[in-house]
Amino acid sequence: MKKLLGVTLGILTAIGGFLDIGDIVTASVTGARFRMALAWAVVLGVVGIVIYAEMAGRVATLSHRPVFDLVRERVGARLGLANLFASYLITFLTLAAEVAGVALALQLASDVNYLLWIPLVGFLVWIVIWRVKFETMENVFGLFGLALIVMAVALWQLHPDWSSLWHSASRPGVASGEGAPTYFYYGIALFGATMTPYEVFFFSSGAVEERWQRSDLMLNRANVYLGFPLGGLLTLTLMALTAVVFAPMNITVEHLSQAALPTSLALGKVGLALILVGFFAATFSAALETGLSAGYTISQYFGWQWGKLVRPREASRFHVVVLLSLIGAVLLALTAIDPVKLTEYTVVLAAAALPLTYFPILVVANDPDFMGDKVNSRLSNAIASVYLGILIVVSIATIPLMIATKGGA
Amino acid sequence: MNRPAPGRRLYAALHLLDRQILDADSMMAGKVDDLEFEQPRDGSEPYVATMLSGLGALGPRLGGRLGRWLSGIHRRLRPEPEPGPARIPFGVVKKLNNHVELTLHREELENNELEAWTRDNLIAHIPGAGHAPE
Repeated sequence: MKKLLGVTLGILTAIGGFLDIGDIVTASVTGARFRMALAWAVVLGVVGIVIYAEMAGRVATLSHRPVFDLVRERVGARLGLANLFASYLITFLTLAAEVAGVALALQLASDVNYLLWIPLVGFLVWIVIWRVKFETMENVFGLFGLALIVMAVALWQLHPDWSSLWHSASRPGVASGEGAPTYFYYGIALFGATMTPYEVFFFSSGAVEERWQRSDLMLNRANVYLGFPLGGLLTLTLMALTAVVFAPMNITVEHLSQAALPTSLALGKVGLALILVGFFAATFSAALETGLSAGYTISQYFGWQWGKLVRPREASRFHVVVLLSLIGAVLLALTAIDPVKLTEYTVVLAAAALPLTYFPILVVANDPDFMGDKVNSRLSNAIASVYLGILIVVSIATIPLMIATKGGA
Repeated sequence: MNRPAPGRRLYAALHLLDRQILDADSMMAGKVDDLEFEQPRDGSEPYVATMLSGLGALGPRLGGRLGRWLSGIHRRLRPEPEPGPARIPFGVVKKLNNHVELTLHREELENNELEAWTRDNLIAHIPGAGHAPE
């Protein structure tokens, strides 16, 4: 019974924890602009993250080694360091975007300018990382994140033309008035937001911290196979909402408030309140995950003691990195840099760096030295290899597309 | 030529270099950042005598400006004017598996200086540093 509860809780938190500022922004921007014509990019990303997160969780469970530990060992000290720079930079930028996202959710609820909320948000994130246990943290924010299910109710209430939504999703194509580069640029943004590297840094480090054993492999599978796709459905729901409300009027999404608007149109104040709680929980838990991941990547590269299981004074270098990253992120967010633009650029940069993270996972998941009889099956290797190909193509195409489209303008 | 001893064959570059070191309490205690070999006088095969760990070992291995910068941090943290890298004799290795497990505590290792510095100067001053999260 307790086991079942654990699995259920894991799935719920995976749904609630799946969405972050990257998914919220990219889904609403693309929904308003391309309707459901980029839904495939979310599906592609969800399958990818499911495959690789399952692998990362399995590797972490059996070898007690998180992803960045493996990166350093498999690609060597020098290339590993280049990888560390890229991964840390993306994680840091995502952290700044999430902090701004939490502040924006608070602004929508309070009418107090988001810039005033930013320092408080930074402090709260730090306090939770410093004082709250890993499991409590995950469960509380994951469950509050479930408030986002209100979006599904809102979509149903808006009585959309389902067949036209399905038509736009199932026969994707470049809309008139949009260039193919822009279309693929936003496809990459969605893909990058779904497969953001910090998710596997966090997921695998969490598995090590919670001391998952062989018997927890089921839990790993259940979390990943159910939680992530259901979280992906929420992303598609948000895309559909902005497609129904904004696309017919040719309104582009430039503010987080617009992501909440369709739900409040459909369900009034209750809907607005719930979606704001959901946005708050989603961005806050992502801020925790990216803040911790900033510490994880650096500590795991250098071999420093990391994690929340030990007293902070026993992992002092880790906590210094987390603290400095948070201060930096707060300062960056305080420059009043447009949070939506920051998020868009970050997920695209993340897409460019994806092979760096996922390739070592695939290699180690096939190493019987670590995995024993739980090495990848042929099927998962086949799918994972196809994905590695996709990741490489995406990472090569990203920067040229970014320049050619002037960042999707 | 001597035949290798029976058992698992280990490759220093693969099974030692860049691996996580754990101390006697399973606390993470740095990486195997470099290795030092010794050549026996009788001409038999060289063996790993010492593991080098910490910024003082990683810096020179990486080279370049960044390597010099990492080595510089190491120099500042050590009392001696020209400190070498932190050395861990291979004899204190308890077990080699996914990690390199030692019989010593990390406070006894020379590569713990940055951890000790950040703890004493920063983290220990923040309330709650001595309690595990609740």
